[in-house]
Amino acid sequence: MSIYKLNYRPYAGNVTPLWMRIVVLARYGLAEAWSSKFTIGLLVFSLLPPIVFLLIIYLTNNPLARALIGAGGSKALAIDASFFAIILQVQCWLALALASWVAPRLITFDLADNVLPILLSHPVTRFGYVLGKFVALMSVLSLVTWIPALLLFVYEGYTSPVPWFASNLQIGIGLLAGAMIWITFLSILGLALSSWVKWRVVATGIIFAAVFVPAGVGAIVSGVLRTKWGLLLNLPVMMSLLWRRILGAPDVIRQDFNLPTNSIIVMLVLGCLLFVAMLNARIRAREVVKG
Amino acid sequence: MGIIELDGLEVRLGNRTVLNGLTGTLRGQSIGLLGPNGAGKSTLINTLLGFHRPLKGTARVFGLDVYRDRAKIRGAIGYMPENDSFIGNMSGVRFVRYMAELAGLPPAEALERAHESLFYVGLGEVRYRKVNSYSLGMKQLIKLAQALAHGPKLLVLDEPTNGLDPMARQRMIELIKEIRKEGSVRLLISSHLLRDIDEVCDEVLILKSGRIAALCNIEEERRSNRSFMELETVGATEKFSVSIRGLGCECAVFPGGRIKLVIPDNIEVRDLYVIASEQGVQIRRMHQRRDSLEDIFLRAMDNEAERPAHVNL
Repeated sequence: MSIYKLNYRPYAGNVTPLWMRIVVLARYGLAEAWSSKFTIGLLVFSLLPPIVFLLIIYLTNNPLARALIGAGGSKALAIDASFFAIILQVQCWLALALASWVAPRLITFDLADNVLPILLSHPVTRFGYVLGKFVALMSVLSLVTWIPALLLFVYEGYTSPVPWFASNLQIGIGLLAGAMIWITFLSILGLALSSWVKWRVVATGIIFAAVFVPAGVGAIVSGVLRTKWGLLLNLPVMMSLLWRRILGAPDVIRQDFNLPTNSIIVMLVLGCLLFVAMLNARIRAREVVKG
Repeated sequence: MGIIELDGLEVRLGNRTVLNGLTGTLRGQSIGLLGPNGAGKSTLINTLLGFHRPLKGTARVFGLDVYRDRAKIRGAIGYMPENDSFIGNMSGVRFVRYMAELAGLPPAEALERAHESLFYVGLGEVRYRKVNSYSLGMKQLIKLAQALAHGPKLLVLDEPTNGLDPMARQRMIELIKEIRKEGSVRLLISSHLLRDIDEVCDEVLILKSGRIAALCNIEEERRSNRSFMELETVGATEKFSVSIRGLGCECAVFPGGRIKLVIPDNIEVRDLYVIASEQGVQIRRMHQRRDSLEDIFLRAMDNEAERPAHVNL
């Protein structure tokens, strides 16, 4: 089967190990995600806040700048757990915008063009397929969440005039853990909802809706029943509480609206299970040609 | 050992038994899979690809269990599905390369073979165009190209000529014949079109209502039915018929010198000419009836209800 001979020849070369197929899926997924200029624009926009935070850290640790700002200003620019909680929140909500754009590109094309019967007739399982797409989405989201946050953390440790790094290690671990929890949840949510919608733009809207509509419903439940448990449907509030607790920052919500950490984790796990079930049902239904 | 071995294979989808106790061994170089709509052809293919778990019995491809060893089997199979199935916004060469990499080829080899297989099927000049800009015939060909790119041992083609115009159909049939002739790839071809199967297959599995209605070697079947013959003669027809009865042929004589006869296996057609020559009878026309695949198919459809699950015609 060479081009000039136009005949068929069997393949007798090396074959890659099975786990490499997941890397192949992730690689092609990433290529698909970056083929859009809008994705690049969103990424650049998402990396603007870390530059601002970098400047703040620089100013806070620079003696000349501190002298110019004065003692009051220096206190206002304290680099502590609350500061990194703000970084994490800003970056994680920007990650939602990126996920809502990228996730449909990873999976909606496959389902719209009905490629799954061919794709899964290769040595790739349903789980492997989803894992490949998941890895691609996680990689994209990592670029705007824990990677810049940890770089800022390291920069603060480097520029701080006092020994800061060792005594604030919890912040570093918290940044990684908090971001990973969020982007894992976001990736599963994004892939699951994208798999049920044929049009990418609609899928983007639905991902946003899945985060903010239950929050509104939760607020109504809390208001009508006069209970804090309605907040368990409010993802922004839940995540904000979780991030601050992981980083060791003080809670900013009213004490009577405080949710236990365990209940937040249970809600996130239940959400993930629901989305995994949705994804499995959808892909299973599309993996074979009916006939 | 056969390529595909079925032993009491039963597959249920929901509450419906789609494949019911299939037993048989398929050994042909090119195997046709025939049957009316809903007979279970696609379900059998999907079972062989490991998508459905057999409820009872087993199915083996190259000696491997279709469900337990599905990763190995899928690596050795090239599958061309019936419906449109591709990534429309990818170029042809990128799509075929992607599928080859998923089959296990390293990236460089996958790219090389993607180019080769696209040229082989006749899409070389359009390989950088996006797949969704291809015509229906081109889409069928790119499905074939991706099925061939990783050098499979078994090529499963589900309705390969579906929706093609006569020229494109002929091109597809020629390609399949070429692949069969090359010899390193076995073929399993599912089709509604008896003519396609007749042209490219040497063995046929006919399904009806989830059961095997017939499993036979097409050439052997034709050879076993070659004994029925019609003659048109001029001369002493009665005397000629007596003589050929003496050879052991069953024969009936009709007005106008027409004779219908069934010749036993040990008698050659040449013997008839010898007797005719000796008796001064001219054989003006000789029609040796051969069973077409259509006959085999129709007989299988008629007889299926009266037959056991596995029948060798």
